[in-house]
Amino acid sequence: MTVTPKPTGGVGMDPVANALSIILMIAIIGAAWILFGWNTLVFKALVAVILGGALVGFGVHFVPVGGAPAAMGQAPGIATGVAMLAAGAGLAGLFGGAFAVPLGLLTSVVAGGIGGALMMAITCLFVTLIYTYGMGIPSASGKVKVDPITGDTQAEYKSQGTEGHGLPFSSFAGGVIGGFLGGFGGTLIYYALLQVYEAKLPTLLSASASAVAPVAVSLAGIFAIGMFLVNAVLAAYNITGTTEGFHDPKFARFPRAIFASLAASAVCGIVAILVAAL
Amino acid sequence: MVENIVIGIGLTAFAGALASVAGAAEDVESDIGSQGDPNSQVQLAPQMGYIHRIFNKAVSGEPPAYGLWVALGAGLAAAFLQVNINPILALALGCAIATLVQGIYATTAYLGRIASLAKFGQPVYIDILKSMTTVTMAHAFIAIFTAVTMCYLMNAALGHPFPLALLGLVWGIALGAAGSATGNPFYGKERQYQNQKFGAGVPVAASGNIVRYAEAGERNSLDNGWFTAKLGGPASGVCFGLIVFLELWRTVLFESFWAGWGAIFVGLILILIFTFIDRYAEVWARETFGPYAKPEGAAK
Repeated sequence: MTVTPKPTGGVGMDPVANALSIILMIAIIGAAWILFGWNTLVFKALVAVILGGALVGFGVHFVPVGGAPAAMGQAPGIATGVAMLAAGAGLAGLFGGAFAVPLGLLTSVVAGGIGGALMMAITCLFVTLIYTYGMGIPSASGKVKVDPITGDTQAEYKSQGTEGHGLPFSSFAGGVIGGFLGGFGGTLIYYALLQVYEAKLPTLLSASASAVAPVAVSLAGIFAIGMFLVNAVLAAYNITGTTEGFHDPKFARFPRAIFASLAASAVCGIVAILVAAL
Repeated sequence: MVENIVIGIGLTAFAGALASVAGAAEDVESDIGSQGDPNSQVQLAPQMGYIHRIFNKAVSGEPPAYGLWVALGAGLAAAFLQVNINPILALALGCAIATLVQGIYATTAYLGRIASLAKFGQPVYIDILKSMTTVTMAHAFIAIFTAVTMCYLMNAALGHPFPLALLGLVWGIALGAAGSATGNPFYGKERQYQNQKFGAGVPVAASGNIVRYAEAGERNSLDNGWFTAKLGGPASGVCFGLIVFLELWRTVLFESFWAGWGAIFVGLILILIFTFIDRYAEVWARETFGPYAKPEGAAK
């Protein structure tokens, strides 16, 4: 059996695939422009949804995830899956962002971002506490010799036969940044879709604005969660397995995920918007 | 006004307490079922020649599984509420049905995962199936019921715009994420590899050699649940409880300041506090446990 080694660092961009992604996104944006005009709520919402999706895809790359090896103290990071941890943080952020929607776009998306960052800060802290006080293991990166933020040396704190363990400070910081971007992007998608549904559903369903409000909130919430998962999973495929955060060589792959997220968010976004806008 | 704030804080504290119980029950349930990342070792062990009696129902990660079960419990409770069933009864009934789904999932997942190891000589133990499944269901009911009740409070009492089922999905995924992140290393390293040195990671060469014998007879997953309930479970509970409590607390108490920016500012302060605690623990571990080897370039 031939065993192909896993790519460990940045991998080359495929220009054809990236060009196709951009063409697909431009085609969808162009279609929305022709159908609805550029200075309309629907067009602006589509652009916001695409931007939110790209932010989610980018943010996932910051989240330090070690998967199964981390659960055995064999590799650094949080012992769970990339997409699911990012989703947990982003959706906790979306919860806070949805609370703040009546306060306006900027407040809502920043509140969503802070909600995601807070979830990740608490989770990362408990990972460190479990490793330190439950297992007696110090944090050590397997990818860099020196922590890029604190300057702490790493190699001598790796136990024998492992690639490192725990969460070095840069991974903690990466987790918080990833949670912020995920919460911010997810809430942006939710906010944009909610505006479209609140404007269009009363006509479509021949009902008052207050009567359709629960339907609008539910639809926007479901589509926001769905699009969050689409972008988180795309980013997880790009990362392939585990990452330590922004100081991991795999972080250099993020442009490829952003191209994919732009195209996927455009496709999902136009479908979510056309549910109510046509 | 003051009365509203006091009720809001009370509800926030209650939701945080429910979340703490949910987090603890979720982690112990997943450890008994080996549903977190350490399942890879339970699956690997027979392939390395180590036949065991550990339960393994990991055909899905904890976050999507709990997203499903909590959303199902919440959705069914919402349906019962629509037909004017008493809220407490509606929540209990919805969660009981969701727990039955979890039981079916656990049974089929164990049979599927273990049967796939037949060529390595790993038997399917029917007594394990009968005794472990009911225990995971009991823990799952506690986790689902507390999580759904927490979502009900957020929706009905604190006025969150999301419907109950959607809140169940959001917080179910977050519950699984927090529980697996906090509890997995303790189950994976400290319990499955109890025969390895304390204070060091498991060497890659030892993979699959999980502890299979208990004080008397062969170890099973009830022993693992007993062990992880000592630290991994409570830590996961405190982690998820803090997430829910602080998220609600800063919103309920500070959102009225500076047009919503008060809650954001408090969130930022909390993140900074947790960052300092994390850094303190990291430095404490480095100084207390010391390096495993001399720094590169140091005199030998």
